[in-house]
Amino acid sequence: MIECKSVNKIVTTTEGQLQILRDINLKVEDGQTLAIVGASGSGKSTLLSLLAGLDEVSSGEIILNGQPLHALDEEQRALMRGANVGFVFQSFMLVQSLSALENVMLSAQLAGVDDAKGRAEAILEQVGLGHRAKHYPNQLSGGEQQRVAIARAFITRPKILFADEPTGNLDATNGELVEQLLFNLNAESGTTLILVTHDSVLAGKCQRQVIMHAGELTESTSPSEQQRHVG
Amino acid sequence: MWANLALRLFRHEMRRGELNIILAAIVLSVAAVLSLSLFSARLQSALNDKTAEFIAGDRQLSSRQVIDPAWLQKARELELNIAEQISTQSMLFANGDLVLADIRAVDSAYPLKGSVKISEQAFSAGREVTELPPENQVWMDARLFQLLNIEPGAEVEIGDGTFIASRVLSDIPDRGFAVFGNDQLVLMRLEDIAKTGVTGPGARLSYRYFFTGRDADLDAFYQWLRPQLNRELHRWRSVKDDESAIGNAVQTAERYFLLAIMLAVVLAAVSIAVAAQRYSQRHFDPVAIMKTLGASKRLIQKVYVLQILFVTMLGIVLGCVLGFVLQHGVVMLVSDRVPVSLDTWYWQPVGIAVLTGFICALLFSLYPLMQLFGIPPLRVLRRDIEGSGTKRLVQYVAAGGAIFALMWLYSGNLQISGILFLTGALLVIALFAVSVGLIHIGRLLGSGNIGAWQLAWARIQRRAMNNSVQLISFSVTLLLLLVVLALRNDMIKQWREQLPQGTPNYFLANITATQLPVLKQQFTDFTVNAGEIYPLIRGRLTEIAGEKVQSAVTKENEQPAEARRPGLGREANLTWASNVQAGNKVVAGTFFGDDVGDYPEVSVEQKIAERLRITMGDILTFDIGGQTLQAKVTSLREVNWQTMQPNFFFVLQPAAMQDFPATYITSFHLDGERKQALASLLAPLSSVTLIDVDARINQLRQIIDQVSLAVEFILVLVLSAGSLVLIAQVQASMDERRQELAILRTLGARGGLIRWSVVLEFLIIGLVAGLMAALAHEIALYFLQTEVFNMSASWHFEYWLIAPLVGAAVVGVLGAVSCWQLLRINTGQLLRNML
Ligand SMILES: Nc1ncnc2c1ncn2[C@@H]1O[C@H](COP(=O)(O)OP(=O)(O)O)[C@@H](O)[C@H]1O
Ligand SMILES: [Mg+2]
Repeated sequence: MIECKSVNKIVTTTEGQLQILRDINLKVEDGQTLAIVGASGSGKSTLLSLLAGLDEVSSGEIILNGQPLHALDEEQRALMRGANVGFVFQSFMLVQSLSALENVMLSAQLAGVDDAKGRAEAILEQVGLGHRAKHYPNQLSGGEQQRVAIARAFITRPKILFADEPTGNLDATNGELVEQLLFNLNAESGTTLILVTHDSVLAGKCQRQVIMHAGELTESTSPSEQQRHVG
Repeated sequence: MWANLALRLFRHEMRRGELNIILAAIVLSVAAVLSLSLFSARLQSALNDKTAEFIAGDRQLSSRQVIDPAWLQKARELELNIAEQISTQSMLFANGDLVLADIRAVDSAYPLKGSVKISEQAFSAGREVTELPPENQVWMDARLFQLLNIEPGAEVEIGDGTFIASRVLSDIPDRGFAVFGNDQLVLMRLEDIAKTGVTGPGARLSYRYFFTGRDADLDAFYQWLRPQLNRELHRWRSVKDDESAIGNAVQTAERYFLLAIMLAVVLAAVSIAVAAQRYSQRHFDPVAIMKTLGASKRLIQKVYVLQILFVTMLGIVLGCVLGFVLQHGVVMLVSDRVPVSLDTWYWQPVGIAVLTGFICALLFSLYPLMQLFGIPPLRVLRRDIEGSGTKRLVQYVAAGGAIFALMWLYSGNLQISGILFLTGALLVIALFAVSVGLIHIGRLLGSGNIGAWQLAWARIQRRAMNNSVQLISFSVTLLLLLVVLALRNDMIKQWREQLPQGTPNYFLANITATQLPVLKQQFTDFTVNAGEIYPLIRGRLTEIAGEKVQSAVTKENEQPAEARRPGLGREANLTWASNVQAGNKVVAGTFFGDDVGDYPEVSVEQKIAERLRITMGDILTFDIGGQTLQAKVTSLREVNWQTMQPNFFFVLQPAAMQDFPATYITSFHLDGERKQALASLLAPLSSVTLIDVDARINQLRQIIDQVSLAVEFILVLVLSAGSLVLIAQVQASMDERRQELAILRTLGARGGLIRWSVVLEFLIIGLVAGLMAALAHEIALYFLQTEVFNMSASWHFEYWLIAPLVGAAVVGVLGAVSCWQLLRINTGQLLRNML
């Protein structure tokens, strides 16, 4: 479970203080799928990085799996991420010096999974890239790289998966492929999925949507609207 | 419009610090070149001045006859200063004693460099004087006073003239290092020599002319004079072709400075190339975007070339200022030990520095820029596009050619540049091989775990493929530093070895066989550390393999000189021995034993054999006081002329020499404070000549200390240039690293793992680079030492261990320090910068 209590994020820039997030309250149950939608620059990615413990809140409190993040130091947060959290980014974020297989293995090993290699091979097979395991990221297309990223995220069977516009850089066909993978794997492993997207169709496939607007979060209350999206 | 754009871009990027690394590299190269060449120009002129003292001028012309007055006229036209000296051998007579002495008559301009030293008492320390002996007075060696049994102020007869021996002569600058064959010196005025009557017809006089002036004028004079000189009669000497130990040390040092400057330039070029590469990669996106928006390739070219020009100019100006400050600081630091003057300003180093800045900046940023210009707009959509790689070979060839051209330009020496360049190229090729090897090892990676070790290797692999510049430039930098360091150590060691503590500072000649036991007894009584005793017989080499040779005394009625083989031109010092003298090496044949065959055997010094075209098995004929001796050449020897030991062209079999009357020479060391003891030490040894080289040795030692010190400073300068290059290189790889760290962080890698992987990576790179550098440096050094520096080649096995360790340590620390910052940045920040 993730819980956000009156979270504010303020950054200091050369032009003065900038409030990026304003009094965010959010609660996501285990296994839920949540879409965060909103205009570009509204603060979606910032929220995501706070939820994942990549960054620190200015005020307020985030509790992840019963653990208040502010009580953990950077090292402990890294450990927590390795064990509980998976990521998929718009720009794939693969380690350029490692092959597809190694990228997936790396994540498994950081989380202390046994037989990292065998499982990495299996999961790559699952995302349809068994034959490209030895290839390096720059030898793969965008869609393929994103599938590797998804394999990397799921190999640890994370409790929570954060996806920041995972299809944003992909064409329609590849986007759909990646989408399917995300939801299938989520269904298989019961992962909580928090997805940032522009794509209302994609958002509609989630059980719940919230809207980010200029740093403020509002629940998309209308179930009919939800229905429309899904439909 | 484009100029405006360029200017705006420039301002923007200066603010953002994008151009800092290129700017720093240019500043560094200009500063290094300027400070090194300025300092070395100053030092060389200081050292040249010092060495000039040994020939009492910048140039010296010796002649066996009076020279054409037109020659001196020409020298005057070129505004050269001239001094003159006539010397001859003559008997001195006083108190009923007769002694043979070397008479030097000099004009009032003498000496042009260095100074005459005299003392009030025999065998005491001398002081410098600026005047010469007054009319009808002579100054003479202490030993002459002793041999003639007179005190300063007494009268001596020289030929037909009578003179007052007023002062004890301690030293004259051009006394030379000649170890034997020298007589005691008498100094007088040039006008006075006529009074002796020894200058009449048939007299054997030697003439010396000393010149000082501006280098260009001196060279012009020599150019004019050269065609008129006769090898048999004339000898031209300049500080530069001084073959003594000093001349040699200075020459070696000059080459060293040259090498150091060259290496500094190469280091600078490498750092500019690295920086430009990084700059260009960072600009792939902006250029792709500009192109997408419709900018033509021409426009982009103009914008970026102008940009590089701005940076280059700024870099040159800053570099000149920094370089000047640096060399000023160094000069101040050494000024109490090396008399380097800051008065003269040398334009050439400034020119070289500015040119270096331009050439380096333009040539080495060219390829990365070309790559940048070639970025297709498609990059906007496909981030992995990095311009066409087909021109890569062209780049390497062009950059290699440019480096070679630079090296050649600075050294003006094809050999040095060739040696360094070729070993450098070999190293680069070897490194490529290693890179391929690493990739193979990397293939095995997938089977293991992925820990710090694998991450480190993976990054190296990737770099070996895509960014091999880094590993290679680490190695090249280390190689250059090693070469400079090892060369410095060997050079200073060899210099010091020439003059170990206790080097003989006095030589004795004309010792008779009956005096030998007395001498030995004296040495024991005075606890003097004596050198070996060598027998000596003067002889004239008259025939080689049955052919007559030219000699200075060839009479008019004999064969014309041209028809004969070249000869020694003077009497040879013959010795005999049953063993090879220490410091000599037999390079052909075998040194004779005791058995005498048809002919007695002779061992000949290699260089003189070459000059006189003497080959193994030749029969040499010597004329020894009217008697003829024939000997067969059965070995050739290599002799180290740098040592302060008597060396001989011809060493004969002892049995052959028994019938000839020999004198003996020896050397010994006496501490400066015990100089007074010389009088009583030599008292029972009448007719023995004392050659005092104490002052000379001290001077020599001083010069070598100074040169060593200078070399050390140069080393420090080059080392700092090298470290800065290393830093630039580590910095250049930061972008790539930044992304990886962010990903690893996000995935939950622990700080320890990340730090370890980074440190390991640099350790491995440093280790490999160090090892490669050690191997390559051994090859480079071998050729440099044997071909360029005339030193004996030496192996440096210790560097095989030290270089990799130091490389690993230095690069590891540099890498760790540079990455520490990255590791401390908040992960969110790190990610944000890349999203
Ligand atoms: N560290 C920071 N410094 C300055 N501005 C920031 C910082 N982090 C985020 N912002 C700003 O906050 C806003 C929200 O950013 P982001 O969360 O990336 O938006 P989104 O993902 O919704 O497009 C943007 O305007 C961004 O420029
Ligand atoms: Mg975003």
